[in-house]
Amino acid sequence: MNAIASVPTEAVVSVQDLTVTAGARTLLDHVSLDFGARSLTAVVGPSGCGKTTFVRSLNRMTELTAGLAVEGSVRYLGQDIYDAAVDPVVVRRRMGMVFQRPTVFPMSIFENAAFGLRLVHAEEDLVDAAVTEALQRAGLWDEVRAELDRPALSLSGGQQQRLCIARALAVRPRVLLLDEPTSALDPAATQRVEATLQGLKEEIVLVLVTHNVGQAARISDRIAFLHSGKLIEVGPTADILERPRVKLTEQFITGRYA
Amino acid sequence: MVRLLWVRSGMRRWWPFVFALIPLAITVAIVTTLLRASDLENFGWSFWSLNVSDHGILVYVIGSLLTAVPALALAMLIGLGIAVASTTYLPRFVAGVLDPCVDLLAGIPSIVYGIWGYFVVASFFGQNLFVWAAVHLAFIPGLRPTHDSSLALIATGDGLALAIMILTLMILPITTLLMRDALRAVPRDLWESGLALGATRWEVTRRVAIPYAKRGVWGAAFLGFGRAIGETVAVFMVIDQASKLPTNVYDGTSTMASLIIGTIDAAMQGGPTGALELHFLSELALVLLSITLVVNVAGRWMIRRTYTGVAGV
Ligand SMILES: Nc1ncnc2c1ncn2[C@@H]1O[C@H](COP(=O)(O)OP(=O)(O)OP(=O)(O)O)[C@@H](O)[C@H]1O
Ligand SMILES: [Mg+2]
Repeated sequence: MNAIASVPTEAVVSVQDLTVTAGARTLLDHVSLDFGARSLTAVVGPSGCGKTTFVRSLNRMTELTAGLAVEGSVRYLGQDIYDAAVDPVVVRRRMGMVFQRPTVFPMSIFENAAFGLRLVHAEEDLVDAAVTEALQRAGLWDEVRAELDRPALSLSGGQQQRLCIARALAVRPRVLLLDEPTSALDPAATQRVEATLQGLKEEIVLVLVTHNVGQAARISDRIAFLHSGKLIEVGPTADILERPRVKLTEQFITGRYA
Repeated sequence: MVRLLWVRSGMRRWWPFVFALIPLAITVAIVTTLLRASDLENFGWSFWSLNVSDHGILVYVIGSLLTAVPALALAMLIGLGIAVASTTYLPRFVAGVLDPCVDLLAGIPSIVYGIWGYFVVASFFGQNLFVWAAVHLAFIPGLRPTHDSSLALIATGDGLALAIMILTLMILPITTLLMRDALRAVPRDLWESGLALGATRWEVTRRVAIPYAKRGVWGAAFLGFGRAIGETVAVFMVIDQASKLPTNVYDGTSTMASLIIGTIDAAMQGGPTGALELHFLSELALVLLSITLVVNVAGRWMIRRTYTGVAGV
């Protein structure tokens, strides 16, 4: 890790000419985008524009779908993650992922958060400390500290989603990819998750796919607008919202965000 | 108009009870018939003994458990293997051939397994596996041949071991099918979350998918056990029916179900001992019913207890 980290580069993740195809269909078309340290980038765009495909190609989850071909490069701290010598398992441990619906495992709250650490047979007191810290960072600790042995499935949807964030954080990733993490949650739960993300962006790189421009406005530093697999425009949140340069962006923003 | 409405809502009130009555009536009828026929008031608990000549049935209860429990254990292990392979590891086109095959096997009548076991499997395993085991694995208790079970006798194949094998093959399709469908119902997101944390497919299978599917696994176990302990004719054909406890795995014995099917004919013929035989067989049926009932209730309780209920969302 240290050898890679010493490569002088601004961006933690650097995407160059990323093109994803499924047979004759192009899902992503030459997308180039850098993600700096301690940032929260919102990826927005109409349904089917390739947002999910984009975040999934950042940690090689695209490989789990048969028939997808990826071209271009995704560099993590300077190293191409699609390089044949790179183990996708290692990539995924560096870049955590949170899904649209909470995906807690059928085990206790504690074991959910500890899942990634158990995989590497971490020592017990190390696991304890990491789980506590991850739950604190995910803003769930105060709600569950007294009942860590409870089945995770007995939590509310919003708590489950924050547990999923904690589970991803416990292995200390540098990047967290979130694909519409609040679309299955009610407004109160959404607000808790947003607060959590806002705290996290001081520490790691967050890439947040959202169909909710309001959410992007509330918590992101930067908005990337995708349309038909192309990156149309990217810039600071306020700029994209108030003075978009491209007509397509403006139409999308005004349609979604009065 | 008013009358029509009344009639229709009246209909709605009574018809569910008619349907409800059917299983209730059958249950009551079977239990009362068996209770009356086994005449427990006169004979008391004397049937609960190992004394075969005095119509003790404990030998057959043990025989049933000695066949059903190992068969269930084997069918669960192998079935889980097939289910995991089919849902997780095999290429789609191989699973596409395997799955209908398992479904088909689950529907084959047990007599077919019995005939196949009797004519083909018995001699095949007898001559190859059992004789080999009797010679080379004799240090394991239960696999050592007693002086009176010579190798030639072992080579014919039928006995406890063959009954276990046939039962395993018979319940394997249903245990496989239930566990496979339960594993297939594990949400794709859950799988991907595991993989996204850096787990291998095997780690996700073991730590996430199987626990998620545990209701299906328990269901498979209880249904498989019910079938194994209740199987009559296939076991009768391969177990080398004998009213005694087996001395080793090659030896003959009887299960409750196989004894019933083997002696019911004679009992029905009547004669001086007919009535006694019939009452004895009723006791067997009653015990068999009780075991099934207990397993069923335990199964329901277990499944409810392990319910993973998806809260929230
Ligand atoms: N495996 C695949 N094979 C073929 N086409 C696919 C595949 N996966 C996705 N697509 C198509 O690629 C396009 C982009 O899909 P993607 O899921 O990335 O969109 P999205 O922006 O996340 O949409 P939404 O907002 O609805 O989640 C869609 O038109 C979809 O139909
Ligand atoms: Mg999507």
